[in-house]
Amino acid sequence: MRFLWLNPAGYSLQCPRMHIPDGFLANRIAISLDVVSGASILYAVRRLKLELSARVIPIMGVLSAFIFAAQMLNFPIFGGTSGHLLGGALLGIVLSPMAGLLTMATVIIAQALFLQDGGLIALGANIFNMGAVTVFSGYVLFRLLGAPGKPGKHLPLTGFIAGWISVEIGAAACALELGLSGAVPLRVGLPAMTGYHAVIGVVEGALTAGVLSFLARVRPDLLKRDFSPRFGFPDWVGGAVLVAIPLGLLALAGSSNLPDPLQALLSRSLVPGAHQESLLSSDRFTDLYRVLLYLALVAIVGAAYLASRFVRSRGGRS
Amino acid sequence: MKHSFVDRYANLDSPLHFLDARTKLVGFSALIVTALSIRAGSTGEFFAFFFFMAILAGISQIPMQYVVGRTLGILPFVLLAGLAAPWRGSEGWAWYLALVLRSTLCLLILVLLTNTTRFVELSRGLRRLGCPRILVANLSFLYRYLFVLADEVMRMRQARDSRRVGRAGALAELRTLGSMLGTLMVRSFERANHMYQAMLSRGFSGEFPVAAPRRFSWRDLAFISVVALFVAATVYL
Repeated sequence: MRFLWLNPAGYSLQCPRMHIPDGFLANRIAISLDVVSGASILYAVRRLKLELSARVIPIMGVLSAFIFAAQMLNFPIFGGTSGHLLGGALLGIVLSPMAGLLTMATVIIAQALFLQDGGLIALGANIFNMGAVTVFSGYVLFRLLGAPGKPGKHLPLTGFIAGWISVEIGAAACALELGLSGAVPLRVGLPAMTGYHAVIGVVEGALTAGVLSFLARVRPDLLKRDFSPRFGFPDWVGGAVLVAIPLGLLALAGSSNLPDPLQALLSRSLVPGAHQESLLSSDRFTDLYRVLLYLALVAIVGAAYLASRFVRSRGGRS
Repeated sequence: MKHSFVDRYANLDSPLHFLDARTKLVGFSALIVTALSIRAGSTGEFFAFFFFMAILAGISQIPMQYVVGRTLGILPFVLLAGLAAPWRGSEGWAWYLALVLRSTLCLLILVLLTNTTRFVELSRGLRRLGCPRILVANLSFLYRYLFVLADEVMRMRQARDSRRVGRAGALAELRTLGSMLGTLMVRSFERANHMYQAMLSRGFSGEFPVAAPRRFSWRDLAFISVVALFVAATVYL
């Protein structure tokens, strides 16, 4: 019933519909992703503390309200559904990935708390799918495709691709999590989610491109400021550890018959009886294997922490 | 314009509203985790849980139709998972029923949590439970400026609608929407700068002070014990 309050015509299906409610993810997966997202938030906080002046705090705060408000502007697509800006790629590009991640995390937490949009235990999964994954993939695509330092002719095209693909990857991660939880089988969920968001993602891409070219025209200083190399080596490492590795584990588990790593990550579940109902039984894993994967999770968190410890301040900005 | 769509009932005066935010965050999270661990087929546990939630909802004085309306929000996911149920064989529908009941319970708990706690107290509770300061500051900013920006969006939408007749092509529509969002973003940036100057000149130190924070009292102790008893009963009986 999201945004019914601004939509007197009634309920229309809101689309990037990726807020997973509680109960749809197996506890193992939800809690592992809570840990991963918590670590990435802590990494981002630590990184921002080192590098940012206090001036950026209100900018992040107001931009999270901006994303919340921007999602009120719907673009009708077909059959009563409508798309709106998800905003992850846009924030990653305009604000730098770390600040973008924190801003998206704020939005997603607020959506869970204000609108009960997405669950509380599933918050980590939602922050991962819609925050970390879209922000980082959008930013990385934008940097890889565009000429850094020259926001020019290719800006709309690279913005479009970054927005579109980032939503697609987020939707795929969402489908993988649901599939591994046994809630929605992969062979149903993956085509449904990615196919649907391939269409919806066009709106995301177009709006990302539109905002970016508007900014380039009207306030190029906002964009130029952010083309400076503030996303340094430690962040590539941190991003890889906190986003790419969990995403890779999910994809590996979903696409092959190998034992599911994420499922075994938190050796069994923390709650009695919760593991009983998954279709993917974890009984075939040896305890050694489970211990190794548990260590891998600890290593992910530890590596993120260490990476943030060794980051040196690169002088003031803003 | 006036918006009261978030925490609309958070200013009521029920016993649940008087609890400390930390108590509610911890207690309701424990309830959610417990609800998530109920197995399919344990009818008694589901029944007891719904009974308990009904009592809490009654105590909270939140109108019933509001609570029920909110729980409809999970419908898209319920339908998606329903597609898969027939493939599960004979166990499929029992499993599906358990899934729907569990997620409904979790949503009910979340509705109760957020509608019995004012947002300022909720974010303060999060801060005291160890949530990073920047994140809590972000949440406070979001809450304060959401209404301002929502007004702005509504004015912009009104302006757009009053300047056009019918629908333009999809591309033109998207371009307009992109410019609107860009305008909104530029205004947000500028607003943030003005705010920062204003906050600095008023002695902003990074924390948002809250008037008369709640303290941990006997009510909180009572609530936590009831929840703990209930959780223990559900898990071990």
